[in-house]
Amino acid sequence: MNRRSHGSSSSTRSGGGASDSFRRRSDVPRKRNNDNKGGDPDDVSFIVGTCSSMCPERERATRERLRDLAVFERLYGNPTKSSTDLAVKKFCRTLSAADVQASDVRPLPVLEETLTYLLSLLDSREHPFEVVHDFIFDRTRSIRQDLSIQNLASERVIHLYEEIVKFHVISRQRLQSCSGASISPMHHLNMEQLAKTLTTLYNIYDANRKPDYIYENEAEFRSLYVLLHLNTSSGVMGEPLSLWFRQLTSTLIKSKEMCFVRNLLRAYRNGNYKSFLRTTASEATYLQYCISEPHIREMRAFAVECINNVCYKLQPYPLVRLSQNLMMKEKDVESLCQECGLEIRTDSDGCIVLPTKQTNFHSPKEGFKNYDLIGIEIERLL
Amino acid sequence: MAYVSMGEAHRRITEYLNRFCDAVSYQDSSMLCRLLSFSSNSPSLLSLADALNVFQDTSSLINHTPKFSEYGEIIDHLFRSLQSYRVGNLVEAYLAFEKFANSFVQEFRNWESAWALEALYVVCYEVRILAEKADKELTSNGKSPEKLKAAGSLLMKVFGVLAGKGPKRVGALYVTCQLFKTYFKLGTVNLRRSVLRSIETARIVDFEEFPRRDKVLCKFSESLASSFVFNENFPAADTKLSYALQHCNPKRERNIRMILKYLIPVKLSIGIIPKDELLQTYNLPEYMNVVPALRKGDLRLLRHALQEHEDRFLRSGVYLVLEKLELQVYQRLMKKIYIIHKLSDPARAHQLKPEVIAKALRWLEIDMDLDEVECIMTILIYKNLVKGYLAHKSKVVFLSKQDPFPKLNGKPVGS
Repeated sequence: MNRRSHGSSSSTRSGGGASDSFRRRSDVPRKRNNDNKGGDPDDVSFIVGTCSSMCPERERATRERLRDLAVFERLYGNPTKSSTDLAVKKFCRTLSAADVQASDVRPLPVLEETLTYLLSLLDSREHPFEVVHDFIFDRTRSIRQDLSIQNLASERVIHLYEEIVKFHVISRQRLQSCSGASISPMHHLNMEQLAKTLTTLYNIYDANRKPDYIYENEAEFRSLYVLLHLNTSSGVMGEPLSLWFRQLTSTLIKSKEMCFVRNLLRAYRNGNYKSFLRTTASEATYLQYCISEPHIREMRAFAVECINNVCYKLQPYPLVRLSQNLMMKEKDVESLCQECGLEIRTDSDGCIVLPTKQTNFHSPKEGFKNYDLIGIEIERLL
Repeated sequence: MAYVSMGEAHRRITEYLNRFCDAVSYQDSSMLCRLLSFSSNSPSLLSLADALNVFQDTSSLINHTPKFSEYGEIIDHLFRSLQSYRVGNLVEAYLAFEKFANSFVQEFRNWESAWALEALYVVCYEVRILAEKADKELTSNGKSPEKLKAAGSLLMKVFGVLAGKGPKRVGALYVTCQLFKTYFKLGTVNLRRSVLRSIETARIVDFEEFPRRDKVLCKFSESLASSFVFNENFPAADTKLSYALQHCNPKRERNIRMILKYLIPVKLSIGIIPKDELLQTYNLPEYMNVVPALRKGDLRLLRHALQEHEDRFLRSGVYLVLEKLELQVYQRLMKKIYIIHKLSDPARAHQLKPEVIAKALRWLEIDMDLDEVECIMTILIYKNLVKGYLAHKSKVVFLSKQDPFPKLNGKPVGS
C-alpha cells in the first residue's frame, strides 16, 4: 500500500488546488500503520484506489450471482448478467477501515467517468423518475464514499461534489411531479444527503485556502446554505445563521450570490413578501430558485394570511391583484387559497375575489408541490 | 533557543519540580498557577523548556526522587507539552497538555478542599488556548482542525467534576465561560445548549452564592446571553444581560462594553432605545446611527449604519437581529406622517395613504413602488405595529382612532 508521507506539504500547499490532491479531513476510515503504535495519530496512510472500472470486479460477480442488479445494470434486461459498462459500485453502509482493499476503491479519474455516466441517466425516459433517482442517489453516495476514503480534495474533487449537489437539487424538483407512498421519504433522504454533501463541499473549500481566495462556484454553493436555513427553527444542518456568517471571509460576504441571499433573508424575516418574491424572480439562479421553493410557498401563504386578516371586509380582494402580488397564475392563487381553507367568490361585476376577514385560515399542509413563479428570469437546467 | 549545559538544565528542572511539589504540599495556588501558565510565555517557563530539550531523561530523574515520583505521571505529560510548545510543535503540545489536564483533574478530585481552583482555571484556559493554536497548525498543513472540539469535551468533563455539591462548585461557572468561548469559536450551538441544560440541572445559576465574583459573573452572563441572542430568545437575553450589567463593576469598562454589545440590540428589538450618553460613555460608535434611525423613522440611515459597520456586526453575530429593526423604523415613519397630518388636517389624519408613504420614502432616497408600500403596511398591521385596516380599493389605510401605533412594551415584534 502506498504511504502518503505526513509532512509532504510542499507539493500540496498550493492552495488554489492545481495539484492533484491535498490533505483534507481526518474523520474518515483509515488504515493504521502497524509499526506506528503510540506515535502521532495523524500520521496514517490513506488508501489509494486501484479499481479501474465503475464497479469492482468481485462486487459485480457477487451481485450477478445474487441477482442484485439494478435495472440500469442489466445486460439486455438479464437480471443475472451485467458488464463493465453498466455495473456501478453500490454504497456500502457498514464499511470499516480494516475491510477496505485498494482494488475496491476507484481512483479519481474513474470516479469522474462514473459520475458523468450516472448523470447522463437523468435524461432517460425509459423508467419512472423515482427509479432513476434511486439509482443515482445510491451510486453517487458510493462515489462520495470512495472520495472520502482516499481523502481526496482538489479542484477536480470540488467539481464532483458540486455536480452531486446539483443532482440532489434537480431531483428535488423532479420528485415533485412523482406520486406514490415512497416519494415523501425519498424526498426527505434526498434533502439529508444534500445537506451532507454541502457540508463536505464546504470543508474542502476551506482546506488549504489561500487568503481572500474563493473558488469559482463557491459563492453560489455557500448561498444555498443560507436558503436552507431561512427559517432559523428548521434544523436541516443545525446552526443558526448568525454564527455561520461569522466564519465567512469578506470576499464571500460581498459576493453577488451572498448579497442576494442576504437580501432574501432580510425580506423573509421582516415578512416582506413583495420584496422576497420580486428579488427571487429577478436574481435567483436555477439552484437557488429550487432551494427557495418551500419558502416561496411559505411567503405566499403568509401574504394571503395577512391580506385576509387586514383588509376591509366590505372590499374583497380581487384575485387578479393577488396573483400580481404573489407572482402566480390566477388559477394557482385559487388553488392556494383553497389549500389555506379560504373561500373565493365571484362578485357582482364578474370578478373573482377573496372575501377578507375569513376565520378559517390555516397554513397549507406541508407538501413540496409548488406553483410557478411568474416572471422568473432564469433558464431551466433541464 | 539558548544553549544550556547539562548541569544547568538539571538545576532548572529540579528547581521547577521542587516548586511544583511544594506548591501542592503547601496548597499554594498562586504558585501553581504561575507554574502552569504556558501561554504567558514567562521567562522561567521558557528557560525550563530549553532545559528540558537538553536534558531529555526527566522520567528517571522524577521517578528516582521520592518527593517527585508521587506526581510522576502528571509532570511527565506537562514536561512533554512544554517541550513541544517551545519548539513550536503545537499539536504535540496540545496532546500532551490534554493528558496532563486529565491527570491533574483526577488529582484535583482527590484533594478535599478547593484550594487549587485558581490553578484549575489556568489549566482550563491553557487547554483552550493550546487547542486553538493546535488547530491553526493543523489547518495550515491542510488537515482538519479537531483539537478545539476535543478541548470542548475535556472541559465538559471538568465541568462534571466541579458541578457536584461542595466548595468546588464555584469553579463550574468559570469552566462554563471557557466552554462557551470554545463552542462560540467552533460555532456549534447544539453543544452549547447541552451545556446550558447541564447548568440548569446542576442548579448552579444561583448568583447570590457568588457575591464577589463579578468578573466571572459578567463573563458568564455575557456568554449565556449571547447564546440567547443567537436563538432570538429576547426576554431571556434581556434578563440575563441586564442582571450582568447591574452587577458589573462600573469601573470595568471593557466588561460593560461587551455586555452592551448584546444588550443594545436586544433592547432595541423590544422597543427600548438607549440614551446617547450611554453610547458615548462606553464608546459604541456602531450604534450612533442605528439609534437615531429608530427614533426618527429614517430607513436610509438604518441601512447605511448597518452597511458601515457590517463587519463588526456580522462578527459579533448581531447583524441579523439589527436588520429586523426595519419594521420598527417603518412604524416610526408612519407615526411621524400621521402626527404631521394631525396638525394640518385633523379630520382626515386617521387615513393614511400608501402614496404619501411612498413620497416620504422617496425623500429618503428609497424607491419603493405602491405595491410594496401596501405590502409593508399590511405586514405592520398584521404584526400589530399599526392598528387599523386596509381598504385597498380606496387605496387607503384607516387607522384606529385610539393608539394607532402601539408601543412594543418589552415584547419583540410580532409576538
